[in-house]
Amino acid sequence: MIGNVLLVVKILVLIAILMTGFAYTMLVERRFLGFFQLRLGPNRVGPGGLLQPLADGLKMALKEDLMPNGADPMVYRIAPVLSLFAALSVDAVIPFGAPIHLFGQTINLDIANPSIGLLIAFAFSSLGIYGLVLGGWASQNKYSLLGGIRASAQMISYELAMGLSVLGVLMMAGTANLEHIVYAQQARGWFIIPQVIPFVIYFITAIAETNRTPFDLPEAESELVAGYHTEYSGIRFAMYIIAEYINMLTVSGLAVTLFLGGWLGPSFLPPILWFVIKVALLVFVFIWIRATYPRFRYDKLMSFGWKVLLPISFLYFLGTAAFVSGLL
Amino acid sequence: MTAFIILAILAIVGALGVVVARQPVHSALFLVANILSLAILYLLLSAEFLAVAQVIVYAGAIMVLFLFVVTLLTAGKEEGEPKEQLEGQRWIAGVLAVGVGIALAVLAIHHPGRAIASGLPHNFGNLHGMGLLLWGPDFLYVGAIALMLVTAAIGVLVLNRPVRRQAPRPQRRNEA
Repeated sequence: MIGNVLLVVKILVLIAILMTGFAYTMLVERRFLGFFQLRLGPNRVGPGGLLQPLADGLKMALKEDLMPNGADPMVYRIAPVLSLFAALSVDAVIPFGAPIHLFGQTINLDIANPSIGLLIAFAFSSLGIYGLVLGGWASQNKYSLLGGIRASAQMISYELAMGLSVLGVLMMAGTANLEHIVYAQQARGWFIIPQVIPFVIYFITAIAETNRTPFDLPEAESELVAGYHTEYSGIRFAMYIIAEYINMLTVSGLAVTLFLGGWLGPSFLPPILWFVIKVALLVFVFIWIRATYPRFRYDKLMSFGWKVLLPISFLYFLGTAAFVSGLL
Repeated sequence: MTAFIILAILAIVGALGVVVARQPVHSALFLVANILSLAILYLLLSAEFLAVAQVIVYAGAIMVLFLFVVTLLTAGKEEGEPKEQLEGQRWIAGVLAVGVGIALAVLAIHHPGRAIASGLPHNFGNLHGMGLLLWGPDFLYVGAIALMLVTAAIGVLVLNRPVRRQAPRPQRRNEA
């Protein structure tokens, strides 16, 4: 009984954290982009623009939810929900901190702690493509369709390299349980040190999986208007944006858990704060990259994924396998 | 039991929907629903690795490729089937497919999975137990399937090889 109550509370808290995280990541991104581009960014609503996300949310919620005449109504309505669902559910298996003791109970700082947590995270994140493809198709608009098709091709291609880059960590830790992976790093040092190339590949593919610049081909505004979400407005448009930002937080959280020691850190700060700091640093790199690099050309993107990232991560994976099994 | 009934109904509705739906994209979506309910059924049978593999491979990769093709095809008009380039390949392929099926059946009868003889190991279904079985006593199956997949990859390359055409001779133009 108390376990179930705890579970519901944890789910609600996690969703609240992710939504706040999304809102303020967006604000931070806009402010930083402003500084990168020598302008101010949104600073009018509240002190330093702190209330801007609230204003944006209100605007999105009150806007009319439009649907094109020729659209497929069911699929059109369901697509953004799928996107958001996939984005939110991945975070259920990420441990945010060491288990804490409260009122005589041991509370794990994750919703579920399955023995194949890493695979479950990948399973849910692989479902996120549906929202993009279906949204693009259901709009019955050629730009949206092209965006959706690009999204599916890009995400499938980069998912391979992403999966291979993570396998090294899996083998070194000897488990797919995310909490145990963190404990393994407590014993043997952060996995980024032996696995720095896979970490870089993971980060590049993570940018591609979240469809952010320089890999934001599915929504390239110079060629496709806005890609798969061209026709969306109001709350459904907001769902796509929320999904994108939460995906960004999620892949950063996974990177921290797999390569950067999760919640581990010197004891003058509580573990959960270390986790937040590391995620925030990675998110900052996301923003930094967005402000720095121009968009890829489509064929370059594909050949980069298949001919550069995939072979390198595969070779490194083979090398790690040989090392772990004692062949080397 | 209730969970099983609900999931079974979902799976059957999904399977029927694949056939009944008029729109190819809807068919694909019904198939995804079917795959996901099957995955949860596997989870109930404590085959958690199989469930996750089902979602990652079928729902996450194969069906997305399917949707990729279907959305592309329904966008344009349909074309007739292209002319076959390999004479009689359908017949040979059919005969060979039946042969491989028989070979696999014989393999399954003569070498049933080790778990059938020795009973389920305590860690059956999770990553560790599955890996120990597949890469240990039941490696024969992994080998057989690897062979089939390699054949499929080679087949794709053969079927898609560039057509050799007699190139028209470039005519020299007099630039007078």
